[in-house]
Amino acid sequence: MISKQTSVGIADMKITRAPGTLITYALGSCVGICIYDPVLRLGGMVHIMLPEKISNHDAGNIFKYADTGISEMIRKLEIFGGVTSRMTAKIAGGAKMFDIPGDANSSVGNIGKRNVDSVRKILQQCKIRLIKEDVGSNYARTMVFDTNTGQVTIRSFGRADNVF
Amino acid sequence: MKISSYDQLNAIQLDALKEIGTIGSGNAATALSGVISKKVRISVPKVSILDFNTALNILGGPENIVAGIMVRMSGDLNGIMLYLQEMDFINVALDSVLHETINSYDQLNELSQSALVEIGNIMISTYMNALSSLAGLEVSLSVPAMCINMAGGILSVPMVEFGYETDKIMMLDGSFSCDGQEVSSKLLMMPDFKSLNYMLDRLGVGNID
Repeated sequence: MISKQTSVGIADMKITRAPGTLITYALGSCVGICIYDPVLRLGGMVHIMLPEKISNHDAGNIFKYADTGISEMIRKLEIFGGVTSRMTAKIAGGAKMFDIPGDANSSVGNIGKRNVDSVRKILQQCKIRLIKEDVGSNYARTMVFDTNTGQVTIRSFGRADNVF
Repeated sequence: MKISSYDQLNAIQLDALKEIGTIGSGNAATALSGVISKKVRISVPKVSILDFNTALNILGGPENIVAGIMVRMSGDLNGIMLYLQEMDFINVALDSVLHETINSYDQLNELSQSALVEIGNIMISTYMNALSSLAGLEVSLSVPAMCINMAGGILSVPMVEFGYETDKIMMLDGSFSCDGQEVSSKLLMMPDFKSLNYMLDRLGVGNID
């Protein structure tokens, strides 16, 4: 089968239709969000780094932040015909790669968890159902999203693939 | 003029940073040589300013597995120091310290991991000592933490840390070779912008237009 694989970088977003596949590599504390419209077999993936945009200082990349990134992706999916009530989301990432004692309560120490919390909240606000997630712990994840089926595969070091 | 984006660094400031890298890595190499009782050489340190997705490829691709030792700097300099070791370096180091070698990362037991963390800790501390006495800075270092995982995930830690300030990452990087054998390990210093400006000021190159 010929399938087209598109790579999503850090602070990047891509949209594709079946039979396309989207992949993002090595999500550490970043979070990868896949949103799928099963009727059109249309899917988008965004790789965010931070929970929310806090200033207009950095007008540049909206896909760096969970809030601006997810809403922009939903807007783009709607342009391609996607309907929010049909859309479902799967997320992965939000790990804590290094465990430095005393770092856990700092704003940066638990950034992975804050990213995940923010993503959940925003999906809820946008009325997108979050159906599966593979988040937290202390390892990086590569996320592959198949728009044929909406299936997500998580590859990680020293662990079996997690397919959901 | 205060630097608020890495692109604003001029040639003199970049040279000053390179010099810091040379002195820091030179001292770290001496320390490493003492620990593993082998000759250690350093390559000419580089200042790399890369966007996130390019930075991931300098370490053999985002999914390449490496061992990273991270120490957080605070005080006059805030930021992260990372020491990244690949398999060939790990084997040279473990062979000299514990007389054992490994074929895959999951063979690293508690003792060998601890040895690698300590080597990283010694190198990072030596680097920082040299830098702080050169520029008259007072820097405290956190306890080291280790992570053996995908290079992309490890490098995302400093990227996220400075993510609100920049879309790029600046790394002062030094590579080492042992006994004439090229082995892959890199020492990266990544200060935040405030610290970068402070450090350039202390080195006397803070206000060159």
